[in-house]
Amino acid sequence: MADEFPFEISPMFEGERVRKDGMYVELAGPKSKGFELVKSVEMDEIEDGKFTLIGPDLSEMEEGSRHPIAMIYRIAGELVEQDLEAIVERRNHDFQNYIQGVMHLNQRYDIWIRVSKDAMKKGLNSFEQIAKATMMLFKNELPFIEKIEATYITDLAGVEKELDGAIATYTARDERTRDLHDEDVDVFYGCTLCQSFAPTNVCVVTPDRISLCGAINWFDGRAAAKVDPEGPQFAIEKGEVIDAEGGEYSGVNALAKSLSNGEYDRIKLHSFFEYPHTSCGCFEVVGFYIPEVDGIGWVDRDFMGTAPNGLPFSTMAGQTGGGKQIVGFLGIGINYFRSPKFIEVDGGWDRVVWMPKLLKDKVLADIPKDIVDKVATEEDASDLESLKAFLKEKNHPILERWVEEEEDEAVEETATAAPTMQMPMMAAGAPMAMPAGSGGSGVKIILKNAKVSIDRVIIKKSE
Amino acid sequence: MSKISTGSFSIEELENVQITIGSIVGAIEKKAEDEGEMGPTPKPGISGLRDWDHKLLNRYEPVYTPMCDQCCYCTFGTCDLTGNKEGACGIDMKTHQAREFLLRVITGAAAHAGHGRHLLHHLIETHGADHPIDVGPTNIKAPVIQTVTGIKPETIGDLEPVLDYVEEQLTQLLATIHAGQEGAAIDFESKAMHGGMIDHVGMEVSDIAQISCLGMPKADSEAPLAEIGMGSIDSTKPVLLCIGHNVAGVTYIMDYMEEHDLTDKIELAGLCCTAIDMTRYQMDNGGTPTAKIVGSLAKELKYIRSGIPDVIVVDEQCVRADVLQEAQALSIPVICTNEKIMYGLPNRTKDDVDDILNDLASGKEAGALVLEFEKLGELAPRLVMEVAPIRKEKGITALPTDEEFKELTNKCVHCLVCEMACPMNLPISDAMTAAADGDLTPFEILHDKCIACGRCEQECPKDIDILNVIEKASQKVIREEKGMMRAGRGQVSDPEIREEGVNLVLGTTPGIVAMVGCSNYPDGTKDLYDIAKEMLKRSYIVVVSGCTAMDLGMYKNEEGKTLYEEFSGSFLKGNLLNVGSCVSNSHITATTIKVAAIFAQRNVTGNFEEIADYVTNRVGAVGIAWGAYSQKAASIGTGCTRLGVPVILGPHGSKYRRALIGKPYDSDKWSVYDARNGEELAIPAAPDYLITTVDNAEEIMPMLAKSCIRPTDNNMGRMIKLTHYIELSKKYLGIMPDDWHTFVRTETDLPLAKREELLKILETEHGWEIDWKKKKILSGPTMKFDVSAQPTNLKRLCKEA
Repeated sequence: MADEFPFEISPMFEGERVRKDGMYVELAGPKSKGFELVKSVEMDEIEDGKFTLIGPDLSEMEEGSRHPIAMIYRIAGELVEQDLEAIVERRNHDFQNYIQGVMHLNQRYDIWIRVSKDAMKKGLNSFEQIAKATMMLFKNELPFIEKIEATYITDLAGVEKELDGAIATYTARDERTRDLHDEDVDVFYGCTLCQSFAPTNVCVVTPDRISLCGAINWFDGRAAAKVDPEGPQFAIEKGEVIDAEGGEYSGVNALAKSLSNGEYDRIKLHSFFEYPHTSCGCFEVVGFYIPEVDGIGWVDRDFMGTAPNGLPFSTMAGQTGGGKQIVGFLGIGINYFRSPKFIEVDGGWDRVVWMPKLLKDKVLADIPKDIVDKVATEEDASDLESLKAFLKEKNHPILERWVEEEEDEAVEETATAAPTMQMPMMAAGAPMAMPAGSGGSGVKIILKNAKVSIDRVIIKKSE
Repeated sequence: MSKISTGSFSIEELENVQITIGSIVGAIEKKAEDEGEMGPTPKPGISGLRDWDHKLLNRYEPVYTPMCDQCCYCTFGTCDLTGNKEGACGIDMKTHQAREFLLRVITGAAAHAGHGRHLLHHLIETHGADHPIDVGPTNIKAPVIQTVTGIKPETIGDLEPVLDYVEEQLTQLLATIHAGQEGAAIDFESKAMHGGMIDHVGMEVSDIAQISCLGMPKADSEAPLAEIGMGSIDSTKPVLLCIGHNVAGVTYIMDYMEEHDLTDKIELAGLCCTAIDMTRYQMDNGGTPTAKIVGSLAKELKYIRSGIPDVIVVDEQCVRADVLQEAQALSIPVICTNEKIMYGLPNRTKDDVDDILNDLASGKEAGALVLEFEKLGELAPRLVMEVAPIRKEKGITALPTDEEFKELTNKCVHCLVCEMACPMNLPISDAMTAAADGDLTPFEILHDKCIACGRCEQECPKDIDILNVIEKASQKVIREEKGMMRAGRGQVSDPEIREEGVNLVLGTTPGIVAMVGCSNYPDGTKDLYDIAKEMLKRSYIVVVSGCTAMDLGMYKNEEGKTLYEEFSGSFLKGNLLNVGSCVSNSHITATTIKVAAIFAQRNVTGNFEEIADYVTNRVGAVGIAWGAYSQKAASIGTGCTRLGVPVILGPHGSKYRRALIGKPYDSDKWSVYDARNGEELAIPAAPDYLITTVDNAEEIMPMLAKSCIRPTDNNMGRMIKLTHYIELSKKYLGIMPDDWHTFVRTETDLPLAKREELLKILETEHGWEIDWKKKKILSGPTMKFDVSAQPTNLKRLCKEA
């Protein structure tokens, strides 16, 4: 139990910083080596709660010194599987920060840990205490972990010996994440966590589609569903493929229908225009259709200016949300740009015409090479005219869609040729007929060289 | 007809004809109506939201704390209302108390609305009615206005009909105070809520008008830092002190100083909200505020008595009634600039600036009323340049010399009359003894706790100027009174709310704590810092305004940083936001409205009840007015409660005469509908009050955490909220809260680090059934957890209704 530890454990210590002069010891970090790793093993391979330390313990370390550290957790349980390792591992950062006097930064082989002098004064003197607290938190939060064992290594040779293996694991995991696609799995995950604020939104999280808020990926959903299958994150059986390119599945549709109380019954996961995914409120980026170029622009929350259509993020974001299916605006998480199925059915990246520079830079590596220079940013185009010019100049693939429209446009232009400075009301009414007090005939008044000043016009419902 | 717009235009076919339309009455409402989005209650009258109020008042019942047992409203009286007696008009005690409370509320609301009207007249005159409203990145420019009135203002001219509405409502409400009107306490309560809501409309008008026209920061999380504190004022320069709440006139002084190269030569200092708004003026593109802040109302008499100000300019609200006398005694000329405060001074508005200057500089007149801002702008800086050298040479101050100080402290007969008179019952007598023995520390401590009301001096039989003694004794600490305050940022922007959404959902932000109000603190200013810091460290968003925003900036951490420097200013977990002055409080309620609009796509237009219902059930926000003294604090707080944001007042808040308290044991009261099917849904008894008073900062800490619990919390949110509730209760009160288990729906709601321990308590002390192998709760909780449930108090919003 928590009280047995000589330190407090609380989320309030998450933001705690251990600075140089308050630091007892520094572990791993930019000037040393280290890593953290979670491995899934068979039940009989480990002993629950066991801690092994290889190398010097905290009490043996000199004040102000720096040491390498490897933290290896082996977990087992009926529901434990390799795909969950990364999710569990990421929590090491949170949990160690809950411990008062311990600061944990970064992840994997970039970890950087400091233990404060104050914590040592209060009785922290062994890595065993830290490991036991962390293991307790792991088991409380993720009950599918039935057994957990920790090994910490604090001597350089030991760390170096294990480091290559750890890196290989990370690489393999990353490859698995990258290579895992919607078609490779049988279940997607639904997330309704945000219904506490957005009462009707349901995010469908798939290997190729992260949640709109950017916080939940397919693996997160999988882990959460294992913890509590009836909780706010749950498995969705994919069912039959209805439209592979658009990402339409019978299982998702059935769920959409039941969770929206029948308000809509189809969702295409990778479609912008047809039965798009619903939007909540905290989506990181909003996509918007620009009819003038028949393309799609994307604008993120950090962009303070206006998009070529003259609208800022806040206005366009306001057009969608609340768990509704809105055609023309789509909220997404930034990582969805990295999905190979990114609005696939609408043309994918070939349909993207504009995004803010900073956002583009963020996802630059994931934009197909042949299109990357053709997507305009605010530096290239600030309004529709400059956007059109840019797209033409760069020969953006969107141009192929223009052929028909340009003919239409020509017609339109003649229609609205020579725009006048007419006031919007009574455009053709001169001499104007003033409404008379009685009867329909009215009085005819001809105005010439007149100045009419109206203090207020009162609009009433016609009786 | 909807195509008519205001402005001037010509018609092609009409030769040389120009038509100007001033305003179109009903146009905005018409537009909203055409767009089919007008909610059911645009511009509600007194009875418009009565049903909603009665719903709230049914759960949160009024508890009255009479300040006085009698009613002396009319000549039938004085009537004794004790012991269930009725007065001559038939009114009983609780109804009279509710009426008294209503009077406080509408007085406060009128102060803001009057301020807004004055400001708006002025800004329309200087900037034109067509000047666009610009408050930063937002889809809803005026959330409170739109929600209450249905009006979506685009220009400052559009704010006029909004104020017309506010003024009409205030008149109607004031009429009900008259003897022989309303006879039910609950309807006075409903009226008070109406007045509070109206106040937020008036405040929003004031602040968005000045943000749009006076170059104030627009939803700027990096608004500049301004210097604050009596010690930060450079008294070697001529010191021009502005006191009040309406910055309109002062901007002319600032412009004149800038144009005449006087900004560096004059120390421009402010007290109260005018000071805050002086540091916002023309800061929307960054920069460093040149004006400095002395502090809140509690510093007013202290600072005048120091003799440092060379000229005082007053505008309106929260300005002491004796500024002229106090200033006159120290040869400080006073300029009144607003009809609300004229101190009996001659009206010199039409006079030549040189003439006024001569009369004031020579001491012929103690002050002047100057309602023309151009003149004020020139007069004040020139006057201060002229009188400062003379005053400084003479070294005029009310503070005693060292010798006089000794005499005064020895003169004290320790009769304790001063301590009885002191609203804080400060130990003045002991401090006198210590000072007579050469120990100034007790007085230094009193200096922070003293709100400088001067009541002690009024009572002292030995005529000791006690405040002067305190201030003299505290010169050393006063010199160190230097802090920083982030200039008021204005609204919270839409992108910020969207970004923060994920934290609110995942519980990484456990709640929003709004610290507002005045400086009548029960135990000095440090409590504010402690409360804010504790909550910030726990990742709550802390929003501040007005006097609280100022006093918070006076403390520093080990590294010499104020909270404003230690924590960032976005609407993000663990951030500290200063929205601005008193009228900026409307941005706090506006934020909750935006949450409803952004995350749930609720139509806010003329739809107050539905939005309040959303906020009540979903938005974990709580307000604290720790030093509430003013009628404005009563109206601001009451406006919050109608929207479903609970408010905690410091101990002096009981003098507002009533609290709204729920009964957690009465399970009938803690039930709502599930909008999906109209079924009844049990909800947790949190918050268990809508407005209440708390004695000390220790008690407030766990209460804040509990006040952020809402029926819709998902398990992650509930877990974090419970964690902080339990931790804060243990840390500050030394006990486990007695009701923590009532908020547990499943084992996933339990604080992570103590899950096993708490399960054990649930089993042994509360008889819950636990599956120990799976560590699951099998039975016990009174509520089910269903994140998709849609709690509402409004049957009409239910699908099956």
